[in-house]
Amino acid sequence: MERPWWSAYSDQVAGPLAPERTPDTTTGEQSEIDRPWVTLVWDDPVNLMTYVTFVLQELFGYDEPTATTLMLQVHNEGKAIVSSGPRERMEHDTNRLHAYGLWATFQRDS
Amino acid sequence: MKPFRRKGDQVVARIVDAEASIVGLLLDQLEQLLTADPDDAGGDPVVERLLPPGHASDPELAAEYRELTVSALREGKADDLALVRATVPPQGGEIRLDDEQARAWLRTTNDLRLALGTRLGITAETEPPEIDVAGDEGSQLTVYYWLTAVQGSLVDALAAGRDARR
Repeated sequence: MERPWWSAYSDQVAGPLAPERTPDTTTGEQSEIDRPWVTLVWDDPVNLMTYVTFVLQELFGYDEPTATTLMLQVHNEGKAIVSSGPRERMEHDTNRLHAYGLWATFQRDS
Repeated sequence: MKPFRRKGDQVVARIVDAEASIVGLLLDQLEQLLTADPDDAGGDPVVERLLPPGHASDPELAAEYRELTVSALREGKADDLALVRATVPPQGGEIRLDDEQARAWLRTTNDLRLALGTRLGITAETEPPEIDVAGDEGSQLTVYYWLTAVQGSLVDALAAGRDARR
């Protein structure tokens, strides 16, 4: 398969074994060793709750109850992990969330 | 405005001419923000919100991410904006969109709400900000709530289509 443009970073990913986190539909084929990064969505006073739920379903294929749970976690706790996997994948997910105007960041899982 | 609702494969709404002109003005303003020279727009909280940093605490990672992604992000937003502009009847009337077009509308109306909401200093969706409703900011707040309703109806109409396909 042709490597995507953002895959230049994948060689830099060399993290420890990370525990599997939260529902993860985008990275199912990844091995455990490739999982040290996460994408976070942060609470935001503008984005509608129904919109956030819709976008999480749309981009990650979550069913409605899962997307709603994540949205409520964002709303109530200030942030939620919405995907996990290798760094370039998390950058891509962050970028897709930015295209929809969600406040998202990626980081090494802590 | 007659809000968006699902009609078979399409989502349909109707706007009046005054609303169409306001949307046109808002799109012009958003376009200026998105095409602003990054050096001039640096530090503008609205631009910062539309093209946000990818990493919360590491400026180096955030800068790298921005360099890789920001031009495509701008282009995507510009394409969405152009589609919305092309599908608004200038004198008001019916808006008829397929699901792809409706997603572009969704993203653009969200960007408009982000821009207005950031300018107005909206801090929590449940509490209206301290704004004099009779002043300039008051009319911006009215537009903000109008966009909220438009976007809410779009989300419902798109979700209805998705549920129907399941």
